[in-house]
Amino acid sequence: MSMERLDVFRALAARRTAEVVITTMTATLQWPLVSSHDLDFDFLAFGMGHASDFGLGLALARPERKVVVLKGDGGLLMSLGSLVTMGRYGPPNLLVLLLENRSYEMTGGQPLAPKVDFVAIARGAGVDKVERIDDMTAFEEELPSLLTEPGPHFVVLPVTNSEPLPPVAHTDHAERVVRLRRGLGLE
Amino acid sequence: MNGASAARTVAVIEDLGFTDVVSIPDGESRHLHQALLDTPDIEVYSPTREGEGIALAAGLWVGGRKPLVILQNTGLMEAGDALRGCGIGPSIPLLLLVGWRGYPGAMAGTSPVDSAYPYTEPLLRAWELPHRRLLSDDDLGVIGEMAAVAEGTSKPAAVVYGYGFTP
Repeated sequence: MSMERLDVFRALAARRTAEVVITTMTATLQWPLVSSHDLDFDFLAFGMGHASDFGLGLALARPERKVVVLKGDGGLLMSLGSLVTMGRYGPPNLLVLLLENRSYEMTGGQPLAPKVDFVAIARGAGVDKVERIDDMTAFEEELPSLLTEPGPHFVVLPVTNSEPLPPVAHTDHAERVVRLRRGLGLE
Repeated sequence: MNGASAARTVAVIEDLGFTDVVSIPDGESRHLHQALLDTPDIEVYSPTREGEGIALAAGLWVGGRKPLVILQNTGLMEAGDALRGCGIGPSIPLLLLVGWRGYPGAMAGTSPVDSAYPYTEPLLRAWELPHRRLLSDDDLGVIGEMAAVAEGTSKPAAVVYGYGFTP
């Protein structure tokens, strides 16, 4: 089973209040279709595979605020050690949603290694609250608790996408940082 | 020229107001790493690789903390994309304390020269990262100097230490 990615985003955007939402790769193209928020952070081109590392640092720095990371499975494979670090230091306010589409979608849909079990890897890396959610009904049921209950949570979401992807918007990286810090009351 | 003391270096780091240290342990920094772990006012994080560490430090800084990154020159080479993407590009003023593997051997004239040695400063120059050398306690002032450069330019800056820290 899998979910349409934009449906996942719509559900998250509908529930989201004051959480930071970090996106990377194709999520950066579709998340703005459902959200325009001062605490949205586009991590595209900030470093291959490192969106959740950045999110971990931000969550550690701002323990009062939930940090949600939307990242892909291809990106995770570029920095698998991130899960070990998350398992060791991940704070209660960190939620990583792994968009599992089994491909490098941003670069043309090249397939990933087919047998990778991301739930098993995350558990083996020491992340305690790991789960797989396969359908929208279950995701919408679990989302309120994922956004409010202590984590860190690592959730694998099998997704597909049938929508055309908007073009990449190459906005200034420093401006993205200033905007987020302003949203956090730090600028 | 036999390396700075870990205790004095930690005192400098504390005085400069660093709140967090992201440190990937290596032989040359082991005494400094331990001294930092023994310092209650500084949080120490040890990620699995250096690129991960730079992204973690960037997140800490964006969230209002003041992180210092400790890594070996070999790790700096590994972390190039993260340094570009999470430091230089978005103007995040990370201070890097870079272990210069190969420096002692090169200075002693031993052969073969560690291949990590000759690329360290040229690499920093290629990234336009200002840096100074830390070779003994007499040089500890360069940490504050380069921290000020990082903050003043809103770009990463580096201190390169040539010898392992003494206890």
